Amino acid sequence: MTEAILSMSEAVKEMTDYIARELVRRPGVEITPETPLVSSGLIDSFALVEIFVKLEKLTNRRIPAAKIQPKDMETVGLMFATAERIGKPRQ
Amino acid sequence: MNLLSLSYLLFVPLVWVLSRIVRPGKGRQLLWLAASYFFYATWSLKFLCVLIVSSLVNYALGIYLRRNPSAGRLWVGIGFNVFLLGIFKYLPVWSAHLGPGHLPTFLENVILPVGVSFWTFEALSYLFDVYREEELDPSLTEFCLYLAFWPTVLSGPVCRLPELLPQFRNAEPVWDDIREGARRIILGLFMKTVLSQMLGAGMRPGEGVDFGFNQIARGWTGVDVWILALGFAFQMYFDFAGYSNIVIGTAQLFGIRLRENFRDPFLSTSPAEFWTRWHMSLSSWIRDYVFMPLATWRPAVWWRHASLVIAMMLFGFWHGADWTYIIWGALQGLFLVAHRQYQQLERRTNVRLPALVATYAGWAVTFCFMLLSWVVFRANDLAQARTMFGALVHFSSYKHFVLPRNFVLMTIVIAVLYFVVAGLRKLAENVKQVPFLSRLGWALSPVVYSFAMLSIVIMSIHKAVFVYLQF
Repeated sequence: MTEAILSMSEAVKEMTDYIARELVRRPGVEITPETPLVSSGLIDSFALVEIFVKLEKLTNRRIPAAKIQPKDMETVGLMFATAERIGKPRQ
Repeated sequence: MNLLSLSYLLFVPLVWVLSRIVRPGKGRQLLWLAASYFFYATWSLKFLCVLIVSSLVNYALGIYLRRNPSAGRLWVGIGFNVFLLGIFKYLPVWSAHLGPGHLPTFLENVILPVGVSFWTFEALSYLFDVYREEELDPSLTEFCLYLAFWPTVLSGPVCRLPELLPQFRNAEPVWDDIREGARRIILGLFMKTVLSQMLGAGMRPGEGVDFGFNQIARGWTGVDVWILALGFAFQMYFDFAGYSNIVIGTAQLFGIRLRENFRDPFLSTSPAEFWTRWHMSLSSWIRDYVFMPLATWRPAVWWRHASLVIAMMLFGFWHGADWTYIIWGALQGLFLVAHRQYQQLERRTNVRLPALVATYAGWAVTFCFMLLSWVVFRANDLAQARTMFGALVHFSSYKHFVLPRNFVLMTIVIAVLYFVVAGLRKLAENVKQVPFLSRLGWALSPVVYSFAMLSIVIMSIHKAVFVYLQF
């Protein structure tokens, strides 16, 4: 149980670092799991796609893209919850 | 019934008064639906039949999809709506290209129901939302009202049912809604009947963007092309943003908050930012229902770029089946990809322009690109666009210009005033904290609104038609 929680925390940390380092349009902004990303304009549609691809890798899940809306990717926390809800483990 | 007509001016208060008499809930929804159908029927009863059939079929498709939200069932829904658009919007254009006799006469003579592009996209967004298992349970009345809602039925904004459904059920206007709604209607009328009209038709015969694109026989110089690009960009903006203000203001009188459609687009410092500020309801639709599913289909980077270009070409195609729209869309997609590459280069090399230089340079490049891309959009055909671009690159063509001097001056003044007003608005947000200046602004408001309304009345002697009605 503890190992699973740490893995999720590490995945969330890796995602927030990735977004801050590679994608955010305003350098120096702190990204937390609760930071609104889409509605605040911190990331654009292209970055959303890159986040989606990263999310699949970090969660090792296949997420049906047509089932996703930008509001499901509004925060890092919501992203992982969405992946858990609709993603299927990769074979 | 045109949004700029006297009958509309009587229609809205009448519906508003009746809405106060009927209690919120089913009764008021039926009132609004009846009002919406009446409004739409004033354009054509045949159009109304198409809208009602589309509403009933899409509602049934929603039930069918909800029972089993599979991709196959979603594609049935997409197929129906694309078929509808194809028959009414694209078939007549292709028929014209093919020439008479290639299609049955009744298909050649199909007329485009006004607003079909907008409410069909709303129907598609509903089906996508059902597929995504959003908790949506509209009644038939609510769904029909969603597609037919009279402020949005003609030219959007393209709304989403999850935003409107709670409002259809519970909205009650407060005094601030009525004040703000009226303000936006006056602003919209001023933008459309005064500013857009002045640019489009000019102040005298032989002037205006329309004359410049359609009737210049001697060819364009570089200066003419830049002025026409500037004029058309602002004509489109004032026309469609003006319309959006009227529509959003009207809905707000009833306590309904619609999506914003424009947010100072010409202040954008990148193409990505521009498309979060121009025709926002449609660009977000394309992002959510076309680009995201398409781009995430394959993980390869090149596919993401291709998806962006395809999505923007579809955006162009939505406007019409002409090559000018499709090429315009492709140009937007390529510009977005180029911007993305530039951002990646900055990160990889860790070389960045100073912030102020980057902002102004980004604004200049974005603004100029958007202006020139509007030339392709507005040109009567690709040959004309090529000729006009040819004038741009011949430096000798900048020694003189063909367009009337008054029109050139007026276009530049209107464009400059746009940026001045944007700057003043920014300043006004800061001075709200200063009581004296805040009171001064309050005192000047009646003067400004009186000027706007007088201008609207004077310019309304010209017949004004909304540009986006043709889409």
